[in-house]
Amino acid sequence: MDARTIIESLTGEFPEAISEAGIESPIRIRAYVDKEKVKEVCQYLKDSLQFDHLCSVCGVDYPKRNELEAVYHIASYDHPVVLMLKARLPRDSPEVESVIPVYWNANWYERETYELYGIVFKNHPNLKPLVLPEEMLGEWPLRKDYEGFPNKTARNLV
Amino acid sequence: MGEVKETKTNNKTETPEDEIPGVLTTTTSAISDFLKKTKAQDLINWGRKNSLWFMTQPMGCCGVEMIATGCAHYDTDRFGIIPRNSPRHADVMIISGYVTKKYLPALQRLWDQMPAPKWVIAMGDCSISGGPFYESYSTVQNIDEIFPIDVYIPGCPPRPEALIQGFVELQEKIKAKKDRGTEY
Amino acid sequence: MDEILGSNEIIGPNEMIVHLGPQHPMQPGPFRLNLRLKGETVMDAEVELGYIHKGIEKILENKTYLQGITIVDRICYLVALTNEECFVGCAEKLLDIEPPERAQYIRVILEELSRLQSHLLGMGEFGEFIGFVSMFMYTIKEREDILTLIDMVTGARVTHSYLRFGGVRDDLPAGFKEKAIPVLNNLKKVISDYEEMFNSDRIYRERTAGVGVLTADVAKSLGVSGPALRATGVPFDIRKNEPYLVYKDLDFKVCTETAGDCAARVQVRLNEMRESIYILEQCLDRIPSGPIFPEGTPYSKRTPVMRVPAGEVFHRVEDPRGEMGMYMISDGTDKPYRVKVRGPYFPTLQALPPLIKGTTVADVAAISGSMDGCTSEADR
Repeated sequence: MDARTIIESLTGEFPEAISEAGIESPIRIRAYVDKEKVKEVCQYLKDSLQFDHLCSVCGVDYPKRNELEAVYHIASYDHPVVLMLKARLPRDSPEVESVIPVYWNANWYERETYELYGIVFKNHPNLKPLVLPEEMLGEWPLRKDYEGFPNKTARNLV
Repeated sequence: MGEVKETKTNNKTETPEDEIPGVLTTTTSAISDFLKKTKAQDLINWGRKNSLWFMTQPMGCCGVEMIATGCAHYDTDRFGIIPRNSPRHADVMIISGYVTKKYLPALQRLWDQMPAPKWVIAMGDCSISGGPFYESYSTVQNIDEIFPIDVYIPGCPPRPEALIQGFVELQEKIKAKKDRGTEY
Repeated sequence: MDEILGSNEIIGPNEMIVHLGPQHPMQPGPFRLNLRLKGETVMDAEVELGYIHKGIEKILENKTYLQGITIVDRICYLVALTNEECFVGCAEKLLDIEPPERAQYIRVILEELSRLQSHLLGMGEFGEFIGFVSMFMYTIKEREDILTLIDMVTGARVTHSYLRFGGVRDDLPAGFKEKAIPVLNNLKKVISDYEEMFNSDRIYRERTAGVGVLTADVAKSLGVSGPALRATGVPFDIRKNEPYLVYKDLDFKVCTETAGDCAARVQVRLNEMRESIYILEQCLDRIPSGPIFPEGTPYSKRTPVMRVPAGEVFHRVEDPRGEMGMYMISDGTDKPYRVKVRGPYFPTLQALPPLIKGTTVADVAAISGSMDGCTSEADR
């Protein structure tokens, strides 16, 4: 299955939800997805296009555009194409549907993205901090305007 | 923290109720205080310095080197330095990496579980000054204010030879009664 | 206690909660495994992470690319070179440069050496967890020989900072091949010894065969990669699926087993070590002479302040534990805008609770150990 077929199939199935689809290289494709349709698109990818392996879910902060992006890297155990699926979210209330029903291993990635960026994954069964201590929740340390970095508590800083 | 716990027992609570004529009554802390001033403490310290069992809790890159030091090739067993998995068997805690806000309570608890006399070695730059992660949002800085560290081993990570050297320095310190694990 | 486990079931008369960790001999680093036990059976399990979370992704955003190499070393200290390969590979794709052939061979040599030492340590740890402590001593002893070889080239045992954009920091020292060949020959012998030791030991067979069985479909749905996946019969290896460096010119096969249990995972590692040795022998024979940085470019051992063209890239390499990927966004400055590290142990650790559910406490250490973990990389 090559990149061109995948893109055509995807845009053909979701003409409104998928935008700015493009091919970066024979094994890397990218697309923006409407944030309401993430789960449906993932389900289609898994069922029809052999994308059965979720590499990662992560967030990216764009304070200038006042946007957060949830980025899904979806690959396959059978073919080498990796699809980068992005969803634009408003920065003040970032919410997106959880993809756990489709990809089981999204669980921890979503929890991590939630605690680091504050992106809320709706219908997540257990949305609580994974790596940060509970009291740091709400600081969203990986956002670009986080003030706790760099940490200045160390003595003898040169 | 870091002191011998039995010295805490107060003399007042152990006041003998009835004095026996011709017999000197005393307390355990008085005996140990007296011993510390004599040559017997040298003998005790000689024993202590030759059996420094350390606790394995690999926390970072230094943890791998710590394990490598305790195993076959570097064989610290030659010096009586044996890796132990339980804090209750251990004399030395090696802080082998970055201490995070989440891990600090656990580390303090491990330290409390270790029986006295006990010592701490700060292994690697992370535990000394933060190392490459000095500016991170989740690590705790200034570990030396929290634990009574006796030996600092710089390096990122230090080689096993450096760790052995650190143990030798600790032995010297114990021999000279300069360690922070005991009150002299 | 209940909310720690995420279940509100009342703990019955024979049930109890056991916390393994954060400091536990079974663990490759601090994490906490909360087990709800009924008698000796694990009813429910939950992993709690973050005890060594150091915020590497945030730090990388605030370091220049060259400084970043030092930081990615410390994501997983057992295979620092693979992390570097992933990070450097991302930047190279954005810069659109390719290392000269000699540099690529040197990288493959070092990464395969790194894989060997990681598998040795992983196997030794596994042996220790199931009560075979001598195994740990044997493998650590052999691992030192490989570390000496890596040390000879990079000058460090664990964290190397050796790869550079477009090349490697230093060329191989004189006499490297002569030193490496006896080590590899010896290793071939000891791998057979280990195999025999494992297979001839009845206790070992009983502790591992049929324990922690993953089937191919379950492993795929859990997102597992690396030896744990290959032990179920799925030939998924980034070196074959998506070749980087000179792997496409090298002859090696992807090792698979079908049983999917602890013994199969160890067997995959043993076979992979044989393949690594084979790759190393090919590389040492075929390595061409030439420059270690692309000629006519400013890239060198100490690249001056480097601006990377704006863009996004996702690069994957095969780590000893599975699929290692990094997602790098550059905005045209000298620092990355965002680096996401997708470590292989993160999904594997995530798959641990469903795998140990229903087994006994004694098997928890065996299953966890057979996954060959590195908590530092799961936490980052």
